[in-house]
Amino acid sequence: MGRATAKAPMDKPAALNAPLFHQLIEQLAAKGRSVVLDLGAASTPMLSLLGRSHCLVEIADLGCDDAIDRLNAEAPADVLVTLAESLLPRHKAGADVDFVFCWDLLNYLKPEAITVLMRAIVARSRPGTRAHVLIAYSDRSMPDRPGRFVPTEDLKLVNHAAPAAETAAPRYSPELLRRIMRGMEIEHARLLANGMQEFLFRVKR
Amino acid sequence: MFERGKREDGLDEGADFKSAATLRSPESASPKAATRSDEWAVIGRSIQINGDVRGNEDLRIEGDVSGTVELRNSNLTIGKEGKVRADIYAKSIMVDGTTEGDIYASERIVVHVSANVRGNITAPKVGIEEGAKFKGSIEMDQGAVDKALGKAGLQAAVKPVTDSTTGKSVDTRAAQKNVVKEAASSANPSAGVR
Repeated sequence: MGRATAKAPMDKPAALNAPLFHQLIEQLAAKGRSVVLDLGAASTPMLSLLGRSHCLVEIADLGCDDAIDRLNAEAPADVLVTLAESLLPRHKAGADVDFVFCWDLLNYLKPEAITVLMRAIVARSRPGTRAHVLIAYSDRSMPDRPGRFVPTEDLKLVNHAAPAAETAAPRYSPELLRRIMRGMEIEHARLLANGMQEFLFRVKR
Repeated sequence: MFERGKREDGLDEGADFKSAATLRSPESASPKAATRSDEWAVIGRSIQINGDVRGNEDLRIEGDVSGTVELRNSNLTIGKEGKVRADIYAKSIMVDGTTEGDIYASERIVVHVSANVRGNITAPKVGIEEGAKFKGSIEMDQGAVDKALGKAGLQAAVKPVTDSTTGKSVDTRAAQKNVVKEAASSANPSAGVR
């Protein structure tokens, strides 16, 4: 996604106030038992949070191994669709996804890869399924690998990823996201204190 | 083939589950935990098993197991060298090594930082250490856990046995004590130890 440059180690990460994440967790708690697809890595705090609502949690961990590189590779669309489906946890019949947590992973995918991934996600979702997304927006650069966001007790987000080199941020605009996230529509968007844009998408009816 | 080891895994009936770090692997057990006198069975790192492994005592796997692992009322630790391609059923399960298959526990499952787990996890309490590799689904709802464990036949893992000559029920505890050893060679027609 761009040329990486060295960056000095950062201090202890600050807790990020993410109102739409807060809102989504409240919706989830009100709904009760749900199916949650987490594109990031599993964390005990997130599992604890989702466990209170008796959720079935599907962990894709697309940030590990070479999943991002494989999705970004030049390949026919049908090959990429099959790849995207294989990178998601095995879908259980009757367990359509209610909530999706993308964290900042979409920043590391090309637009074509986002379209393919969302197609696979929408296929296992139901109308009204909501997806939470963090997009690097204000800053021209971002860490060269995805974060490890973990919720705090008061539903703020802390990025536990080790300090990384910087790379150019794609800075996807809402207009572009509308086009490439087919089958979804933007429900809310907020600019966060760290310069990221927080989105809540909804699978179209 | 099977070794006996001092129990050092920290899996304690009274252990408080607060985070993945609450339970430690044998290699990283605290000195205090290492003083426990309980014993466990160990499948050593040079052992490869194709077939079903069943038993009624705590087990640590450092070797390579393919098939099914059923430890009805016991704890299972998959050590850093352990590679298990099997569906696993136990009371509590700690993973430091590699697993591929679905994992069921009636109490808890802890995935440590060195682990690489591919498959679905079903247990009322689940801990995943930061840095651990996990891909699959996690089911923690007690009702769903009970249902899954029932379907999985966990209750049937150790069922009453009737003497064919007298028709009376017999105590299976003694027979089960070494069932892990037996399973390696004869419990499954296709089972074998290489």
